[in-house]
Amino acid sequence: MRTERARALAPAVLGLLLGVLALGPALGPGFVLRYDMVFVPDPPLTLPGQGFPRAVPSDLVVALLSAVLPEQAVQKAILLGVFVLAASGAAALVPSDRLGPRLAAAAFYAWNAYLAQRLLLGQWALLLGVAGLPWAVRAAALGGRLRLVAALLPAAAGGFQAMLVSVPAVLATAATAPLPAPLPAARVRRVGEAALILGGLSLPWLVPALLSAATTDPAGVDAFAARADGPFGVLGSLLGLGGIWNAHATVPGQDSWWSAGVRLVLAAVAVRGFVRLRAGARGAPPYWTGLAAAAGAGLAVACLGPFAPGPLKALIGWWPGFGPLRDGQLHLASFALLQAVGLGGVAAGPVPGPGAGPAPSAGGPASRAVAAVAVAVPVLVLPSFALGAFGRLAAVDYPDEWRRVQAIVNADPAPGALLSLPWGAHRAFGWNGGRVILDPASKMFARRTVWNDELLVGLPDGGRITVAAEDPLVTEVETALEGRPEDRVRALAALGVRYVLVHSGDNAFHGGATVFQGEELRLLRLGHPR
Amino acid sequence: MIRVLAALAVGAVLAVGASVAVVNVAAPTPEPPNRPLYNYGDK
Repeated sequence: MRTERARALAPAVLGLLLGVLALGPALGPGFVLRYDMVFVPDPPLTLPGQGFPRAVPSDLVVALLSAVLPEQAVQKAILLGVFVLAASGAAALVPSDRLGPRLAAAAFYAWNAYLAQRLLLGQWALLLGVAGLPWAVRAAALGGRLRLVAALLPAAAGGFQAMLVSVPAVLATAATAPLPAPLPAARVRRVGEAALILGGLSLPWLVPALLSAATTDPAGVDAFAARADGPFGVLGSLLGLGGIWNAHATVPGQDSWWSAGVRLVLAAVAVRGFVRLRAGARGAPPYWTGLAAAAGAGLAVACLGPFAPGPLKALIGWWPGFGPLRDGQLHLASFALLQAVGLGGVAAGPVPGPGAGPAPSAGGPASRAVAAVAVAVPVLVLPSFALGAFGRLAAVDYPDEWRRVQAIVNADPAPGALLSLPWGAHRAFGWNGGRVILDPASKMFARRTVWNDELLVGLPDGGRITVAAEDPLVTEVETALEGRPEDRVRALAALGVRYVLVHSGDNAFHGGATVFQGEELRLLRLGHPR
Repeated sequence: MIRVLAALAVGAVLAVGASVAVVNVAAPTPEPPNRPLYNYGDK
């Protein structure tokens, strides 16, 4: 009994160990701050603003958890949880009773270029959906409403990107998995139930998204299109689960011939292993067709940006709801899962044909050796993901003045927004090792924070792509900031701005009363809120 | 036996490649920036 339990828990333990190895210094005291991953002390319970609800309900979930647990512990638990959930879920999909193949799938799904790059881009909320994806696929294949709801909870907490990677795989699996009674009505019912559950769990971000006046700039297609991160071009990068748009979100050394080459070979071996699962004695696993369809669709979406940007821009221009397709590489999650299950199939050894008995070497030394190598291969193929990708992820603490400013603003009962300057979305603080992060002010205050959500993406030739702001208030504030200096304070106050948070070294803004002056931050209070 | 040898050979080759990759990326990085404004990222 104890052995069985240990075997059942082994993939989760492997995921935990891989998480500890990958996060390394990020597990120390402090916050892990990188790109979209911005956790703050005493996060406020706030409702979504007027821009697209990207951090809904993930920020709210963090704020609620932080009410009972230390914020830093919440962040580290979420990050480690991603590895545990991903590894255990991938293992659960491998159609083998043996531990080795299941561990091979677990190791691959918790340690691959896709997960590493998205983590280095700080997209922890997306990774909740990626980690829960195998469980969601399994639930869709087995049937059962409660099982599917439970499996989709991590994605629901993550928000729109996490649900986006779950929807195709869940619907495709529900539509193709074998049913006890293969009646068309039963099939329609199962797909309908899955769609209702997906829709219901999406309401926290779907409703604010539909009610907001947010727009999506088609320029984002060029900015966020998949790119070649190695010598095998965009398609070669995507097949190896790389190709993220941001050159700074790649694992160090990922662009070398060696790394790109072995990842591509591993992808080919894994895909072949997945195809061979169909010919197994047990027949294709129930999720086989659905996962294959979702993976193919994800790969096709990832190719849209680099190979067919025109139609994608037209779609986004026609309806902003197509905006999530612009970062196409994001949709490779199902393909990563397919490769993980395929690698598990390879580690399981030769596939006996239908009607054949168990493989003669099953559980023997040969199988154990193959499985051991298969478990180690994902780490050996991408070794520089270890130790926080060699320092790209680390834990730091906010300078005390950030907390003091937060306390002043949050203690003020008077209404009015806070405007964060300088007028740009991202910062690279020395105290954070120069790692780029979204302005922390956007998440620190229990009041509306106005920040420039226009995105700037640098190009290799030194140029920049500007992706227009989504929040309509940003345009009004920008107009006020461009006005005459003597009119600025009045114009901002008329827009409902009560506080202006500026960088101490930035003398571009004058007016208002200084209520805090630190080495890095200056807080100004304006006259009359609307 | 052939499968065992093949698996060990693959593991050994990958281990050597991984060691070289780690040594290459462990080199010191340039001075990090400290700027109030920054790109979201670069292509």
